[in-house]
Amino acid sequence: MSRPGILAGLRVVDLSMGWAGPLAARHLADMGADVVKVEGCVRFDWWRGWEATQGWIDSHGAEKNPAFNMVNRNKREVTLDLSTPVGTDLLKRLVAVSDVVVENYSAGVLPKLGLDYPVLSGINPALVMISMPAFGTDGPWSSYRAYGSTVEQASGLPHLSGESDYPPTMVHVALGDSVGGLNGAAALLTALYERQRTGEGQHLDLSQSECLFPLGVQGILTQSVTGAPPPRRGNRSSRHAPHGVYRCVGEDEWIAIAVQSETEWDAFSAFSGIDGFGDVADRLSWVDELDAAIASFTEGQVAEVLMLELQAVGVRAGYVASGLELATDPHLAGRGFWKLMERDHVGVLPHPAAPYRVGEEPFDIDRPAPTLGEHNRELLGDLLGLSEAEMDDLERDGVIGTTPRLS
Amino acid sequence: MTTEGALAGLKVLDVAGTIASGYCGKLFADHGAEVINVEPPDGGFETRREPPFIPGSDAPESSALHAYLSTNKASVALDVGAEPERLVRLAQGSAVVLDDGHFDCAAFTGAAPEVVVSTITWFGRHGPYADFKGNGAVCWSLGGMVRNVGPEQGPPWVPTGCGAEIVGGLAAYIGTMGQVIARAMGNATGPVRLDTSIHEANLCFTEVGGVGGYRSGRRGKRLGVNRFAPTYPLGVYACADGWLGVTALTPRQWKNFCSLLAMDQYADEPDYQTAIGRLMDYDTLEPIIRQRVRKRSAAELVIRGQSLRVPLAPVPTMEELFSVDQYVHRGAFTEISCNGTGFQVPATPFRLFRTPSTAGGTVARLGESNGEYGE
Repeated sequence: MSRPGILAGLRVVDLSMGWAGPLAARHLADMGADVVKVEGCVRFDWWRGWEATQGWIDSHGAEKNPAFNMVNRNKREVTLDLSTPVGTDLLKRLVAVSDVVVENYSAGVLPKLGLDYPVLSGINPALVMISMPAFGTDGPWSSYRAYGSTVEQASGLPHLSGESDYPPTMVHVALGDSVGGLNGAAALLTALYERQRTGEGQHLDLSQSECLFPLGVQGILTQSVTGAPPPRRGNRSSRHAPHGVYRCVGEDEWIAIAVQSETEWDAFSAFSGIDGFGDVADRLSWVDELDAAIASFTEGQVAEVLMLELQAVGVRAGYVASGLELATDPHLAGRGFWKLMERDHVGVLPHPAAPYRVGEEPFDIDRPAPTLGEHNRELLGDLLGLSEAEMDDLERDGVIGTTPRLS
Repeated sequence: MTTEGALAGLKVLDVAGTIASGYCGKLFADHGAEVINVEPPDGGFETRREPPFIPGSDAPESSALHAYLSTNKASVALDVGAEPERLVRLAQGSAVVLDDGHFDCAAFTGAAPEVVVSTITWFGRHGPYADFKGNGAVCWSLGGMVRNVGPEQGPPWVPTGCGAEIVGGLAAYIGTMGQVIARAMGNATGPVRLDTSIHEANLCFTEVGGVGGYRSGRRGKRLGVNRFAPTYPLGVYACADGWLGVTALTPRQWKNFCSLLAMDQYADEPDYQTAIGRLMDYDTLEPIIRQRVRKRSAAELVIRGQSLRVPLAPVPTMEELFSVDQYVHRGAFTEISCNGTGFQVPATPFRLFRTPSTAGGTVARLGESNGEYGE
């Protein structure tokens, strides 16, 4: 089945679980690739839920995690029990008619199943396959168990954020996942371009931890060129003042304000009535007093209104949004960023657009995330040519199915 | 300047000179594309004025950040506003032009009929905030990233550095490569303008929160430094020899974590069998965990914890980072040369085994490539 889109004609087998791998495949799906997600009824994507019980299964808990549903939209899905010879054989047949495999199993799992790159590339020499373990496919940590939080910790980046009298500070519950997913998509597209020229496939890998280094590159480079790390400054900047997050009217309401030139300072000063702090060198040396003056100014202001007023006079400002504001933000709404879609078991939920677009309309989201095994018959029948009787046998034997099992 | 690599033969012009366009172009250059920075003659790209600076080097060749972004790219000094015809000549045969909204496809189609003009801006080219001035603090505040970071009482903390721009450049690379491949596959023809919003690119971190807000109609609460729902324990803990990164999500990881720290009396507690249940009793558990790890070795806990399949990791300082065994083994850092000074930078974070990216390289001085390109 070819979907409309600029990558129409490409088929991706998505063996990955969690956030990073599925996000990589989602970008290809958003651009029109036919992405086939592969799960097992026992070994289902842990992103559906990591505390499975029979009660959770009976209440369709596996279909309700919004994080799973967002990262797997625009995909089809087949269940295969890869611990059985018939399951691995069907996967090989699927790979034979596909272009890409995405996987993030722990090191050693796919070789044990006989489904690693040397095997799969023997079936399909033009295959582009990416492995996305937390720390890469080689090295002493290659088999380490990790989440997106673990890779943020191991990247050293927590030593750059926050204030110096606090412990090294993480900035997200799973920073590594999103960045790993974006890098996975970038890697696949790089290799697919090369394959388009040469006809040859190849194996790729990434380390989600290394993918985070560019986000903290100014700190890493500071250490590299000066031999010392940058000080942790909280919300302050070494070069600009004011640069901070200031309290506004209401509970936990804040606004970020960043003045990056004398022109912007003049505009801010004229708007706020705060003056007498001189040029940027003076403002940096009087930053405690400056921040106190600004805090006094903002504490009576409504953050979102103040943002609009400051931006109107050319000052960088943004209110500190929560998830609730993201869902209702006028800019995102005006750009059609969220698309409401209905899905079994969860009802109507918003789906975020791809961050790149041609013209004013985002790339289309034409289907919500698949339910477990939703397209078993379509994929095994139409794509691999199995008969209804053969698929009945697979279902009877538990190789395919549509309901999670604890064992 | 073309080198072998997956993208050999592709020509890319950067006329924007931002961190985001620089990182997008860097990914092209790392994989062998010919990337030309088209820089204003009076001082060059704005990235040349971004810290950190190389001690002993003078502007405009002193920015280590610009060097990292511009390794293995050419530099042509050209006033594109005053001499647009020379820019068009330079664009001959280009697959991609990276800009920040000042050019359209029509400017290049005569010289590059299949060009992808990839525009990267803070908030996209249309919408109520399209004209907003941005930076990382503004972008991450409006994107919901800042709200959950920092002390419970506030202020929320902005993550340090240029990560927002890097993520924007990475997203732009994905979108741009999609368009380039579409043309190679015959799925698309002719020039196209791609619009990447750095703001929307960074919503990859918080889109789940947006859905949560939509469903609940409520705002989430900041829980404190290194505390994020729904996972607990999660955080960075002081040990005798450094810092330990902890995550225990599943019931089995919790049980094994308790075993590791001799906290077995908490392992089977019914309320602690879910991450949220443990998080709700943070005040009880946190002092115990802190006390149990304080006098132990982080290195030893990581090895023992990983042997029990508990996701523990060291949290290396910037000084330690370059000598971490895992990163040394994989060549995660590589040396580049800028104006005669060599220093370590992060290598390309993804590897193509048959067509590897370029390791290391040199940084062109402002206008160094003018002669090569007939300027």
